[in-house]
Amino acid sequence: MSNEMTINRDELLLEVKDLKKYFPIRRGLIRRSSGVVKAVDGVNLFVKKGETLGLVGESGCGKTTAGRTILRLYTPTGGEIRFNDPKLGWVNLEKMDREELKKVRPNMQIIFQDPFSSLDPRMTVERIVSEPLAINNIGTPAERHARVAELLRIVGMRPEYMSRYPHAFSGGQRQRIGIARALALNPKLIICDEPVSALDVSIQAQVLNLLEDLQRDFELTYIFVAHDLSVVEHISDRVAVMYVGRLVELAKTEELYYSPKHPYTEALMAAVPKPDPRRRDRPIKLPGEVASPANPPSGCYFHPRCRYAKEICRTQTPPLLEVAPEHYSSCHFANELNLRGVL
Amino acid sequence: MNQTPESVAEKTGAMFEGEDIIIRVRDLHTYFFTDLGISRALNGVNFDIPRGKVMGVVGESGCGKSVTALSIMRMVTKPGRIVKGQITFYRQDRATGKQVEEIDLTSLDPNGPKMRSLRGAEMAIIFQEPMTSLNPSYTIGDQIMEGIILHQKVDAAEAERRAIDILDRVGMANPKLVVKRYPHELSGGMRQRAMISLALSCNPSVLFADEPTTALDVTTEAQILDLMRELQAQINQTIVFITHNLGVVAQMCDYVSVMYLGRVVEQATVDDIFYNPKHPYTSSLLRSIPHIGSRTKERLQPIRGVVPDPYSKIKGCPFHPRCDKAMRGICDVKVPGLTMIGKNHSVRCFLHSDVVEETANVQ
Repeated sequence: MSNEMTINRDELLLEVKDLKKYFPIRRGLIRRSSGVVKAVDGVNLFVKKGETLGLVGESGCGKTTAGRTILRLYTPTGGEIRFNDPKLGWVNLEKMDREELKKVRPNMQIIFQDPFSSLDPRMTVERIVSEPLAINNIGTPAERHARVAELLRIVGMRPEYMSRYPHAFSGGQRQRIGIARALALNPKLIICDEPVSALDVSIQAQVLNLLEDLQRDFELTYIFVAHDLSVVEHISDRVAVMYVGRLVELAKTEELYYSPKHPYTEALMAAVPKPDPRRRDRPIKLPGEVASPANPPSGCYFHPRCRYAKEICRTQTPPLLEVAPEHYSSCHFANELNLRGVL
Repeated sequence: MNQTPESVAEKTGAMFEGEDIIIRVRDLHTYFFTDLGISRALNGVNFDIPRGKVMGVVGESGCGKSVTALSIMRMVTKPGRIVKGQITFYRQDRATGKQVEEIDLTSLDPNGPKMRSLRGAEMAIIFQEPMTSLNPSYTIGDQIMEGIILHQKVDAAEAERRAIDILDRVGMANPKLVVKRYPHELSGGMRQRAMISLALSCNPSVLFADEPTTALDVTTEAQILDLMRELQAQINQTIVFITHNLGVVAQMCDYVSVMYLGRVVEQATVDDIFYNPKHPYTSSLLRSIPHIGSRTKERLQPIRGVVPDPYSKIKGCPFHPRCDKAMRGICDVKVPGLTMIGKNHSVRCFLHSDVVEETANVQ
């Protein structure tokens, strides 16, 4: 992705270059390192201010690790994470220590997948939501109390609930509490890590609508990590597809869904069961299973399952290239194949 | 549609025209007697399962989908109990295709010889999370062979041969190796295939699939759905597909039962459910999900409120507090009965009929 000159850097909020995060595999009594899991293996992307970038892929593809590494919840093995801080300007996060990160962190927050394990059961809602304020020494206790009440109202909950404990709430309400906590410091970027996948369908819609409202009202930028392609299509402006730690395609949502340029995206789109009994098309058969990031195949990681694979795919790793305006794909044959999108 | 509305509870004929019914459920009540009170998980379930077809059971969590399957399999355990109702199983002879027996499952002892001879052999279940439903301390082969030895009276060598054969049929790579493996050594998709093999090992006539693909990735899900479709076509199996994923329902099912708070609120062909839904809950459920490929960025229309907890008692139609079309003085007073409003279409809603359910608890 070398041609980002076409994009004005002031419009960007985040730039990620060749991001890598490897986890050591430890075996035996002395925890000897016997290899690495390449969870994130050279991811390049940028995020524009105010947009929602969807990050999709199957379990184990590294989408959650990528999100957490961008927030520096993990220390990257390599690569650059550049964040356009409203006060500090462009800063590099990858080498920052705790103290430096503390200045940038209020602008970057996360919403977790599981609303049951992401809230401390022994803390009241007030303590949970005000914790980011307390850590950053913002306001007096009375001011924090008022801010929590305001935040709960913003996410559609009654402020009276703040003295209760998480167990008193349903999954959807807990997710709202998690969202209120993420909003407490007026962040610019929120990483939404599967925020609705643990919720019932009717509650999913409530939370998705809330996220859209908040984005509009507070000029938020989202990286929306999810595996549900219907939800991602609904909420994202652009979508990035990951496979075994690498980005295989990145484009505007419409383009990615209707004219994909990578065979994996095509297979992924075809696999989604469409909620229409009059359109029963057999999905493209994708044989085998997702490759292991501890022992990925040679060349293009997708080649053992790809029905278009040729000799070059076995030997050479395809780089992520701009194959059409603002449409990036890492396939040797991106412009030769005529791939099928969502029908 | 011109016929007079007929209450399903009193109906004796099939709810689906031209279908042979394999299981009929009438007025089924399964309660859980807990310290917090009585949870009415099933509160008068009525439906028919057509033989050789795929029937979907949909609804939000807590609506009683899984308890319905467990009640039919007689696998509800304490503090739960079937309080009243009938579950009739029409057993057919496999070879002749003739009906040989009409069994009232509710009258059987859940652990008695009759029920044990049916469970596993005539009806089987696939659970959502294969990791927690397979036994971690036995190999895949042992677990499949157990049922085969029990029901088909064969020796261990023959049972292993059949286990390998069934693993091969569900598309498991290296079945001879897999029979020696433990569940933790397999990936999620392989575990679910093993679970399906286990359920299919004795060729059951009814298969309950309880969210069989919910824990899987889309491409694995597509493989498993494809497999179930193939097996269903090959051996003309009856499948009851329990899911909350409307996409899976649309792709897999012939008929659909929509459940809400322990009751079936609508039952119809899959086409009618998607193109001609009658119950406000069914239509709101369809409107609340993002449709892939819709190209529109329309705002989703969530159903307001949440599913009430099962201990609470709601006067009138259980859906009326969340319903946009609720009629004051009617929906909040009386419980509508499940009523036939077309040849294959039944609904439980006062917008479409004025049948009141007399058996509903009013206290």
